[in-house]
Amino acid sequence: MDYWAGYGSIALFLLVALIFGLITIILPKVLKLLGLVVRKPNAVKYTTYECGMETIGPSWVQFNFRYYIFALLFLVFDVLVVFLYPWAVSLRGGGWAAFTAMAVFIAVLLTGFLYAWKKGALEWR
Amino acid sequence: MNWWLLSPEITLVAFAVIIIFLDLAIQRKGILAATSVIGLLVAMVFAVGLWDKTGVTALNGMLVIDRFSLFFQMFFPGVAALVVLGSTDYASRFSRFKGEYYALILLATTGMMFLASTGELISIYVSLELMSLSLYALTGFLRDPKSGEAGLKYLLLGAVASAVLLYGLALTFGITGTTHLAGIAAAVKGMGNAGENPALLMAIAFIIAGFGFKIASVPFQMWVPDVYEGAPTPITAFLSVASKAAGFAVLVRVFTVAFLSPGWLSQDWAMLFAVLSAVTMTLGNIVALMQTNIKRLLGYSSIAHAGYIMLGLAAIGSAGGGGLGQNGILFYLAAYGITNLGAFIAIIAVSHRLDSDLISDYAGMSQRSPLLAAALALGLISLTGLPVSAGFWAKIYIFNSAVQEGFLWLVVIALLNSVIAAYYYLRIVKAMYVEEPTSKESVASSTPVKVALVVCSIGVLYVGLLPGAVLRLIEAASILL
Repeated sequence: MDYWAGYGSIALFLLVALIFGLITIILPKVLKLLGLVVRKPNAVKYTTYECGMETIGPSWVQFNFRYYIFALLFLVFDVLVVFLYPWAVSLRGGGWAAFTAMAVFIAVLLTGFLYAWKKGALEWR
Repeated sequence: MNWWLLSPEITLVAFAVIIIFLDLAIQRKGILAATSVIGLLVAMVFAVGLWDKTGVTALNGMLVIDRFSLFFQMFFPGVAALVVLGSTDYASRFSRFKGEYYALILLATTGMMFLASTGELISIYVSLELMSLSLYALTGFLRDPKSGEAGLKYLLLGAVASAVLLYGLALTFGITGTTHLAGIAAAVKGMGNAGENPALLMAIAFIIAGFGFKIASVPFQMWVPDVYEGAPTPITAFLSVASKAAGFAVLVRVFTVAFLSPGWLSQDWAMLFAVLSAVTMTLGNIVALMQTNIKRLLGYSSIAHAGYIMLGLAAIGSAGGGGLGQNGILFYLAAYGITNLGAFIAIIAVSHRLDSDLISDYAGMSQRSPLLAAALALGLISLTGLPVSAGFWAKIYIFNSAVQEGFLWLVVIALLNSVIAAYYYLRIVKAMYVEEPTSKESVASSTPVKVALVVCSIGVLYVGLLPGAVLRLIEAASILL
């Protein structure tokens, strides 16, 4: 059935993802068993992050709710970027109609940004 | 793509953006209400201009321009304009965010217009969310504990309802393999009479549950009284008229386009709507009897009216097509809309002065403010369904459609309910005209509120005395693509 055939590529994708994951887990073990890599432990290697700060104090603290405004604004522009990529790729075929559509879309998003800016949402009070 | 087909919605979005910028730039906030009324009227004019270009689909079938959708593209901006006019006094209570108030009303209206004119499941969901999210924010707009509670309740229950709806839509897509209503109709028809498909029935039940929340049908009505009481009164009016009409518009479109044949299917959901209708109107009316707060009372009364309107859906399913049932729904929505708006705008004016929504405070209102009392009395008489008012013809029309399809038992229940309803509606009229006022202080109201009240009252009387023109408009509007 045609309808189910559409799910074939998804199944394939899942399979590849699964195999890739398994290989990255199993490969180091195999290499170790074969004696191709040697174990050289040291203090830095066993820290939580190889790069980045160790946390100070408990990590279950309440965050200031002002962060949610930044999170929202971030989300708005994140979504914008997600839409911009496929738009940029197909711009040649879409022509002026595609350009206008994206211009309107960005203008609407910018309205929200200007609104937040003018209302002082970006200032830390 | 002919962008003119989208002109009413584009107008509203553009005006919403203009209002946001105006709000940032100017100090005199009175202009905002005027701007939004102008925007809504321009959108209506564009919808009227499209009246002859019907039978067109655009954006790959996402947008369906037929007379049915154009009827609602005139209806929703009209309702929103009256709500804006009615909230000019009330808006002085909002210390901040006046621009946002009007912009959100415009955006909610845009969502409703898209909801009535879309022929595709995903865009149905997106337009429903555009409407709902704006309304959640508007419900909590007063920023006092009651309004906040109402907003939060509406948000949480609404999110659950929209999740259930989404599940129903996903099941429908899974069974039929398409999100276009016309494609779904073909796929469902192809199932033939091979027997009932349980997954399809489940999908339909979920879809009814999701939209049932919007139209406040039992058993999805529990949010209504609290939200209606807590929300700013103009938004309560908007919820009870426009949001309900949007729910019915999309129900009629989904069920008459997608799920009409085979015959067993439409018989199944016709019976479901008939039973829901009986339960909804009975519960709404009986609980309304005990209310002392007029906003809660009208909340329960709006549940009862959703029950009456569902008679039309039962008739559509039983007849296997639009026809009388569909005309009945459109006529009832128009009559109920203008009636309920009139009643609510009078209540807005009173509650703004008195700062109270108790029915006992309406005693002797005819002496304190003759215009408000007369308009409210007319609205209540029309809600009861007494002759010379719009509600009378609306009830006759929709009851007739159900009788024609053999739902005599249901119409008997509906008539009994109308009698119960008469008690609590006319009790308020009695309080206003017979009882002695508690204070002599007159209740004044501003010009925009008076204009809105007079428009609504004339509308109620016009439809009540000369229903012919509206009936012809609705018969022309009941052609679905």
